[in-house]
Amino acid sequence: MNDSWFSFSLPDFSYAFVSVLLEGVPFVLLGTILSGLIDQFLPARFMTRLLPRNAFAAVCLGGVLGIIFPMCECGIVPVIRRLIAKGLPVSSAVAYMLAAPIVNPITALSTYAAFRGQGAAEFTALRLGLGFFVAVLAGLAVLNLPIGAVLKKTILESVTLSGAVGDGGLSAHPLLRRLIGAMEAGVRDFLDVMVYFILGVGVASLFSTAVNQEIFLPLSLDDRLAIPAMMTLAGVLSLCSSSDAFIAATFVAFPAVAKLAFLVFGPMMDLKLVFIYSAVFTPRFVATLAIGLFVIIGLLCLRLAVVLP
Amino acid sequence: MTGILSRFAASGVLMVWGLVLTYFYLSDRIISYLHPAFHIYTAISGGVLLLLSLLLLLTVPSDSSRHALPGMGIFPLLLLTVPLLAATKLSPSQFGATAVMNRGMINNISDLPGFSPPQEPGLPNADGSIAEGTMMDPSLYLKKNADGYISAEAVDLLYAAGEPVMREDFENKQVEVNGQFLPALTGNPNGDRFNLTRLFVMCCAADARPVAISVESNPAIDLPKMTWVKVRGKATFPVEGGRHIPVLVAESVAETEAPQESFIY
Repeated sequence: MNDSWFSFSLPDFSYAFVSVLLEGVPFVLLGTILSGLIDQFLPARFMTRLLPRNAFAAVCLGGVLGIIFPMCECGIVPVIRRLIAKGLPVSSAVAYMLAAPIVNPITALSTYAAFRGQGAAEFTALRLGLGFFVAVLAGLAVLNLPIGAVLKKTILESVTLSGAVGDGGLSAHPLLRRLIGAMEAGVRDFLDVMVYFILGVGVASLFSTAVNQEIFLPLSLDDRLAIPAMMTLAGVLSLCSSSDAFIAATFVAFPAVAKLAFLVFGPMMDLKLVFIYSAVFTPRFVATLAIGLFVIIGLLCLRLAVVLP
Repeated sequence: MTGILSRFAASGVLMVWGLVLTYFYLSDRIISYLHPAFHIYTAISGGVLLLLSLLLLLTVPSDSSRHALPGMGIFPLLLLTVPLLAATKLSPSQFGATAVMNRGMINNISDLPGFSPPQEPGLPNADGSIAEGTMMDPSLYLKKNADGYISAEAVDLLYAAGEPVMREDFENKQVEVNGQFLPALTGNPNGDRFNLTRLFVMCCAADARPVAISVESNPAIDLPKMTWVKVRGKATFPVEGGRHIPVLVAESVAETEAPQESFIY
């Protein structure tokens, strides 16, 4: 074990950086291809017509959309960006964005597999339930915010423009032209999101290779320290939500609630996601979301410590 | 950068990414970075990016400003290409000692990602024979090399340490294990042990967890950290710290080539 809490190695950083890019780019690409298709083929205000009029019900629906349209955290941002432009309320979009990486069949199965022999069914249910609950809470909080405080100016303009011109007569365009339009929109989103993705992966790779992870171990003895420590670790490691449960399960010294906090907070907010979210949201909103999620998940898990061993 | 120039720049960026992803897949370098389940996604993405790059050039609209691709200033252009190319060049395709030691060693099988306790074997028949299908003949999974050593992985010995029936299969047998050398900074009272390490991967190298067994060597071995070695010796499982731990008592330790597939899954 290294003596220092931080020891940087350029080859190690480069190796982790390339491996996350190779793993993540297919999912970003999938998200941007979907976003291009949404841009050209989903009629404007379609989402408005689809969602319930009741704001609370619409946010709750956003929280369970991941079951029908599962997306990982890397690919979801370009999708919600286009869905917002097509009329999905920002509150529902935030609930979908935060819940989808957790409340989906793939994450449920991987969590169940990782925690076999450690109350897998209960743990999986708790992870999905808490993920949904926190995502809906965040969505409801966004309901009370002015849209200009949440969305970046360029995204806000695209929403306004979409509302003003409808679908711009897109449906009347020949299929080939719409496909070319979808490709261009997808490429535009890919390049935009990749700028933030690369920055995020860079910061995450720096910390995941240079920080001595055993500095967190002494914190495992007290729930009040173990929970924030594991959430911090989740933020630093920036793992994929489909495999993070296998890593969390290896922190045997930590109490179950701390692992739960790791598995709920990590897919919603990590170093990589701070940058990716910045492709859509204002820096102030991203910072508020990060702090809010940290506090809410921390407090909820601390409360759950009473019932969870 | 606007209009047609922006479109060419976007096409160039996609081309670079497509080529890099395709290169990693076709050169098999990807084996050192990702779990096999993810290789195909990288290959498909590389192909799609190359196709998109080409299509962008083939579909230039007559009014080029209509489909200008924003965000392609010099800074984004550099950010989208230089770090990828530099990291591809600099990356040694394996972790060094710094990152491995920062992650801490897994030397107890129950700490391994995805570990589930083995099922108890079925009860024997009334005559004491083992019921068919309840126990696997060890010779089916313990393969020996030409010199009679059981070819094992570090993780096999970790499993054996935690499971009595499997421990019997290995205990005091001659085994051969490959791994990377790291000095043993703990659990080394006589100064004659080192860690034989492998990386256990779930998705990609970034989530790799180092798995290690102890090797006892007389005289003590000192090599550059993370050197690939082939160790031959006797598998033992002494009780230390209240549990069985795998200790390979070395007969020989020889430097060896890194295997093409350096991870264990």
